Amino acid sequence: MSKLLTVRDLVVEVPSRRMKIIDGISFSLEAGQTLGLVGESGCGKSMTCYAVANMLPRGIERTGGSIEFERDPSKSGRAADPTIAMIFQDPTSSLNPVHTIGYYLESALYRNQGLKGNDARLEAMRLLERVGIDRAKSRLRAYPHQFSGGMNQRVMIAHALAAKPQLLIADEPTTALDVTMQAQILHLLEELKAETGMALIIVSHDLGVIARLADHAAVMYCGKVVETAPVADLLQRPAHPYARALIDCMPSIDPADLEPPVPIPGSVPLLDSLPKGCHFHPRCSRATGECTALFPSPSAIGRVHEASCYHPVAA
Amino acid sequence: MVGFILARTFRAILVLIFTVTLVFIVLRLSGDPAQQMLSDSTSPEALAAFNAKWGLDRSIFEQYLFYVANALRGDFGISFADGREVFTVVSERIPKTFALTVPAFILSLLIGIPAGIIAAMHRESAVDKGVMAGAVLGYSIPNFLLGLVFIFAFAVWLRVLPSSGSSTWRHAILPVATFALYNAAAVARFMRSTLIDVLGQPYIAAARADGVPNIEIILRHALPNAAIPMVTTLGFVAGGLLGGAVLVEPVFAWPGLGTGFVNATSTGDLPVAQAMVLLFTAFMVVINLTVDVLYVVLNPKIRKQ
Ligand SMILES: Nc1ncnc2c1ncn2[C@@H]1O[C@H](COP(=O)(O)OP(=O)(O)OP(=O)(O)O)[C@@H](O)[C@H]1O
Ligand code: SF4
Ligand SMILES: [Mg+2]
Repeated sequence: MSKLLTVRDLVVEVPSRRMKIIDGISFSLEAGQTLGLVGESGCGKSMTCYAVANMLPRGIERTGGSIEFERDPSKSGRAADPTIAMIFQDPTSSLNPVHTIGYYLESALYRNQGLKGNDARLEAMRLLERVGIDRAKSRLRAYPHQFSGGMNQRVMIAHALAAKPQLLIADEPTTALDVTMQAQILHLLEELKAETGMALIIVSHDLGVIARLADHAAVMYCGKVVETAPVADLLQRPAHPYARALIDCMPSIDPADLEPPVPIPGSVPLLDSLPKGCHFHPRCSRATGECTALFPSPSAIGRVHEASCYHPVAA
Repeated sequence: MVGFILARTFRAILVLIFTVTLVFIVLRLSGDPAQQMLSDSTSPEALAAFNAKWGLDRSIFEQYLFYVANALRGDFGISFADGREVFTVVSERIPKTFALTVPAFILSLLIGIPAGIIAAMHRESAVDKGVMAGAVLGYSIPNFLLGLVFIFAFAVWLRVLPSSGSSTWRHAILPVATFALYNAAAVARFMRSTLIDVLGQPYIAAARADGVPNIEIILRHALPNAAIPMVTTLGFVAGGLLGGAVLVEPVFAWPGLGTGFVNATSTGDLPVAQAMVLLFTAFMVVINLTVDVLYVVLNPKIRKQ
């Protein structure tokens, strides 16, 4: 299978403070596959997405590494890059409050597919229906504040579909939603993936979401990827103590599972005062002197399974 | 939305009635009108005739109704200064003040809004710093001082423009420029900060990521949002222009409401002064009402509820 996206040694910095938010991460994604990014708040999941989508905020820059897309040989320039669409954690604030849902979808359809007037309206209605919004015709005249968060997330997904993307980046698409809505949105994403064959990068701090959608997962900690593995491997045989700890602190809904969730001791260090060596060592029970000296380079655990740790947890 | 506008209109009328009442109370508290208007040697019969003529022999409540009824008809009595109807004295000054404030308001929008937009679009660049330095300068010099500087530069030194009076349109140039520069500076500053705030919103980042062209981001995505808080600011600017007339008009001996008000208060021409207070209040009420209505019209969050 062909690589749709290859990220190598990506570095993202706040130049004014000479602070590295993303410190040399690498991963790749094949066409139609799903990559899950998981890690605690502040580890750089969103910044990774923004860097890939080329929408880093003001004052934050990519200062190193490469992001390569598989190019369409029949086209040239930017048009040859695959189309990327993105959806966000807080759908309502990502929608312009003065524009109607109809304007939002129809202008995207015009930009991406050249559709105008009635054609655009019909297609917008079809997209709304596809993402599970009924009475689509009257909804086109509604404003984002008249919709619930879950409905707005559906609108954002419909809008993403208007671009016919080869890659959809979903940054915590369900974090702000209630549980039933979360399940519906995840189900919708699964369906759309199967239908359109698009690749997906799904970000979550919830391993359950990653387990459900992703083929492959990358665990991030303090701007580094510390473990990458096929999702099943990661859940069953986590090698990095941090990945292990993330899995252990996941609450289980299996009544036979009597082990209570174990919280990770300590807290995530601040980016401008990262511990030397392996950034996880102050919280790690396996840490030795070696761990405090130099950041461990990734080593193979299995086929397409790597972890950056001096003392990986045995399978 | 119609309900909201009706409620605001009702409130505006309440404010006006309240002001009329307040002016009445202040007027009655400030002394017996008969004693103020007539000399001490007036005979008791003449005093009684005066009181009967102006209704001063009735109960205070009747007097109040009498006063409100007259005010509604535009009858504010006679100017102490020249014995003419207050209504005439005041209304012939209104167009003069509008001749300064309306062009000044339009000019401050025409200068301030584009300057603020350009500064916000090129944030932290030399253009932005230049525009903002100009705005800070324009904003920190008091209105009347700027007027004096203009008079000195263009009337005394260069001798290209008249410094006082209102007989030709050329007389309006310096006072309008004084007003417009100060307010354009204020508009530019608010426009810049409002637009920068809007440009930092997630929906703008999302639109950029979608590949919406920059010009469309500004015109269709950012400005309609920035317009909502701007309306409030422009209401302040419009109100400030009318209030500023009191400071700027006398500098140029411009015969508008501002100069009229300063004259009336300094000569103790109470009927004229009170009519002008009511008129200024009415202007402010109308401006506020316009702001409220525009705010709703521009803001779907309130409009669609
Ligand atoms: N404008 C900024 N200036 C400086 N640091 C920033 C800025 N924006 C984000 N950061 C830092 O970058 C780091 C990564 O942020 P990012 O949003 O990618 O985290 P995340 O993994 O998505 O977290 P969350 O789960 O909370 O969304 C955080 O530690 C954050 O403090
Ligand atoms: S390198 Fe050392 S400190 Fe870091 S996770 Fe592995 S064992 Fe723990
Ligand atoms: Mg995030």
